[in-house]
Formats: sequence, structure tokens, C-alpha cells
Amino acid sequence: MIQFKDVTKSFKNVDAVKGVSCEIQDREIFGLLGPNGAGKTTLIMTMATVYNPTRGEVFVDGHSASANPDEVKALIGISFQDPKYDRILSAREILEWHAKVTGVDKGVREKRIDEVLAKFGLAGEARKRTWTLSGGTKKKIENAKVFVQRPKVAVFDEPTAYLDVPSRLMVWDMISELRDEGSTVVLATNMMDEADRMSDRVGIMSRGEMVQVGEPGRLKGSLKGRDIIELKLEAVVPELTTEVSKVEEVREARYEGDVLKIVLTNGRGLLPHMINVVTAKGGKVQSVNLKEPSLEDVFLHYTGMKLS
Amino acid sequence: MSEKPSSLFVLWVLVERDLRTLLKSPWILINRTAFFLIQLFVFAVLVTKLATSLGFNYFDFYSVGAVVSTITSIAFIIGEDLFEEEELGLLDYLLSLPFGHSLFVIGRALGGAVRGLIYVTPMMVLVAYLDGYFSVAGVAGSLLVIFVLATGISGLSITLAMLIRNANRFDIVIALAELATVRVSAAIYPLAYIPKVLQPAATYSPVTSTSDIVRAIFLPGYSAGSYEVVVLLLFVAVFFGLGAAFLFRKLEGGRFE
Repeated sequence: MIQFKDVTKSFKNVDAVKGVSCEIQDREIFGLLGPNGAGKTTLIMTMATVYNPTRGEVFVDGHSASANPDEVKALIGISFQDPKYDRILSAREILEWHAKVTGVDKGVREKRIDEVLAKFGLAGEARKRTWTLSGGTKKKIENAKVFVQRPKVAVFDEPTAYLDVPSRLMVWDMISELRDEGSTVVLATNMMDEADRMSDRVGIMSRGEMVQVGEPGRLKGSLKGRDIIELKLEAVVPELTTEVSKVEEVREARYEGDVLKIVLTNGRGLLPHMINVVTAKGGKVQSVNLKEPSLEDVFLHYTGMKLS
Repeated sequence: MSEKPSSLFVLWVLVERDLRTLLKSPWILINRTAFFLIQLFVFAVLVTKLATSLGFNYFDFYSVGAVVSTITSIAFIIGEDLFEEEELGLLDYLLSLPFGHSLFVIGRALGGAVRGLIYVTPMMVLVAYLDGYFSVAGVAGSLLVIFVLATGISGLSITLAMLIRNANRFDIVIALAELATVRVSAAIYPLAYIPKVLQPAATYSPVTSTSDIVRAIFLPGYSAGSYEVVVLLLFVAVFFGLGAAFLFRKLEGGRFE
């Protein structure tokens, strides 16, 4: 288990992380959500003992990151947001060195490197100097370090940035496999679909603070009364906004062009009834769209900011 | 899951990283070697002709000093490496790896010294051959002395990097420091010919001591005693210790914050 206890990290007069307290359970994928500058990377670096917390304490598997940094570092592997390795070296050399220094057993080292390189489709480029490779390929090599290491706590900072769609799907699969093998995964991202799809729980960070922690489904469910039914009408019928608002569950009804937007609780259950109300008053529905709260809405609700 | 590697293994792997990057940069090696050869076969040969009239074999004197000067220059590079690693974010990566900050500091300084040694080993062999006093024991002994100097210079470079903290200013200071360390010494000209005002500094220079010790190993008519050894060891102890302490403190405070 990873525990953050009232962690604050300041750089000069700026608090990059402010009083963060939360727990990450063993073998869970914990999505750390927030825009750039929210403090995600600083929090990760504090956990990895690269930064000392200005206040508070981080425990990883019972070891204090401040008092026993070597014990903590032995448990963690990080895939950084921007690839961090000697770019004069080839992918194979980078992975070999990383595997060695992180204590991957000599007997399995080469096999694992071959497997990961093959999975990422890098076997043909494994001996090229990495500075000659594309941004996406460099990012794959950064991720590959952790997949070769297979640490107890695997940290991925924006793991699918610069990657194309097939590569993103593959990285997601590989992260899930890592968790299934017993690793705890911390996934820092500012991509809502990634966090929603991958995370068992998410922590929402904003301006250095952890403003909410929970399962994505529960967080979305907490935004009751925020479903939206959009009815595109053949022609605007002005009195429909008043008529629809008479339904108890409806919070708001308004026109946006020829689309009637109804904000309500339980949109899925009330959709047929809403269509009946509109049709009964002469509205001719051309198309229907039901929007339920997304993680983006959750983020907006708790931070007052849009992520993207 | 992986296991925590031993300290010795980590030290080796840190040094190995320096060697891997070195071997990937042959042009630096070629450049330094070419510079050394030109100095040796053009400059030293010319000045030797001038100095012969004084009854002094300058070529032998200079060739040893040139090797010592070269390793001094190379050992200074470690400070630049630290700035570069910081700039590229590599330091974050290295500090997140499973070894303590103290091992990291020792590994970096040793890596810088070993890298320098690899540069100058062929030069040392060539010099021993040209001077006509080649022996395996002599070359090995000289390289050991040179290695000791390199660890001290690495420490000095790290100390300056930690004190200056700005890459541009560091570049200027390090160029001046390198110039002063090599020129205000008896590496490439005899102490007696150095301006009087600089002679005290040159006398206590570790570069002078190292040059004197290596000359004493190779060349007849040269001697070195415990004084030179003490100056060299004192320099190494002070600056390796200071460099390690400064870097360690910086890292413990959260790298170059």
C-alpha cells in the first residue's frame, strides 16, 4: 500500500503539492488526474524519493520514503512523461542498463527485453541510437523500461502521450497485465478516457491539491441530476421548455438552436416519457442524444476547470 | 519482481554507463587524441629543438605533462555532465533508481575518472614507448597516479558545479579553472621557467605533483618523494570529499532545487 500523509512539496515560495493525503491499495490501478501543473509529477517524484517532502510523509509498502529511501526505490519503477535516458545509446542498451541497475535477474533479462521490444514493434530499431527515433518510439522505449523491470509499484506518467491509437491500446493492455501479475500501478494522466478506462480508482488533482478520490463510476454517479437529453426538433416549439420543466426530475430545459436540452436526473429512465411530452405538445423529434456525466464532468465539478 | 542489487554491482553499473556513452562518442576520443598527437609531434618537437641548446630534453618532459594535462581536462567534464543530466531530466531518472545518493555520487566521480583513464591509456603507452622507457609496471603505476588525480579533479569540477549552479557561468569558470590548473603547474614547462609570482601556486599544484611522480617513474634524472604524494592525496581528499558532500547535500535537498 502507498500512503500519502499530509504531503506538501514547495519549491522556493511555490507549493507544487499542498497537504495531499490519500492511500493507494495493492494491485490497483490508481489514476492520477489533473491538468499540466496540477502537481501530479511532483507527487510522484516525492513518492519516488527524488524530492523530499517539505512537510508530511510518504510510505510505500510500510517503508518511509524519507527515512528508508533505498527500500522505497527498490520497489518503484517510473516511466517518465518525457523520455529520460541517454539518447546516444540504443533502445537495447537502455533497457539492458535499466534492467541491470534495477536488479532484474540475469537469467531472464535478455528474454524480457526481447519480449518487450517485440511487443512494441521495436525489434528492428533496437540497435539504432535513440536520438534518431520518432517521439512516439522514444515514448515506447520509456514505457518499455518499466515493463522490463516489472516493479512492485509501477508509475506511468502520461504513458500514451505521442502514441498512435493501436500503440495506446497495447500500452493499456500491458499495464493491465502488469497489475494482474501483482504490481500496483499509478497512472498519471490528463486524458479522461484513459483514466476512465484503466483506473480502479482515480485521484483528482488541482493546483497542487487532491480534491477528490474514488472509483470513476461512483464519482460519476455522485453527480446526480446532471444527465442531459438533447432532442433535435424539426421546428422550435417555445412552450416546450415550460411544459418539460413541469416534470419533477427536470432541473433545467432550454433551447440551443433547434435542439431542446433537458438537464435531469435519471435521463435513461425518463427518455421515453420526455419524448411523449414533447410529441404531445406538437414537437417533432428528429434525433435523440442522451449524455450521462463523464469523468470530464466530474473533474469540472470538483475543480471548476476543464481538463482539456 | 526484481531484487535490490548490491552496492558494488551498482557502482560498476554506474561506471559502465559512463563507458557505454564514451564508446558511443568516438569523435570526442578522436578529437582529443588528435589534439594530443599534434601537441606532441608539432609543438613539443619544435620546442625541443629550441630547448636542446640548453641541454634539456623537453620532449620527454612535455610528453608526460601532456598526458597529465589531458586527463585533467577530461576529468573536468563531469561537472558539465551533471548540468546536462539535470537539463535533460536524466538526473530525476538516475535518482529514482534503487541506490542511495552516496553511491550515486561516488559512482559519478569514479565514472568520470575511469572514462578519463580510458582516454589517456593509449597516450600513456605511446609516451612510454617514445621516451624509450616502456614497461608494463611503469605504465600501470603511472595510470594509477593519473587515476588518483582524475578523481580529485572530478571532485573539484563537481564542487564548482554545485557552487555555481548556472550552466553558462559554469562553462566560463570551468574553462578558467582548467586553464589555471594546467598552466599554473609544471606539467608542460619546468617550474623554474614559470613567472615568480605564480611559482608558489605551481609548486603546490596537484598537476605538478602528478607530473613529477609520473616523470620519476619513467624518466631518468627525475625524482619525486613523499611531498608530491602528500600534495596529490591531500588535493584528492579535499576535493573528492567536498564534491561528494556538496552533491550529496544538493541531492538530499531534492536535486538542484
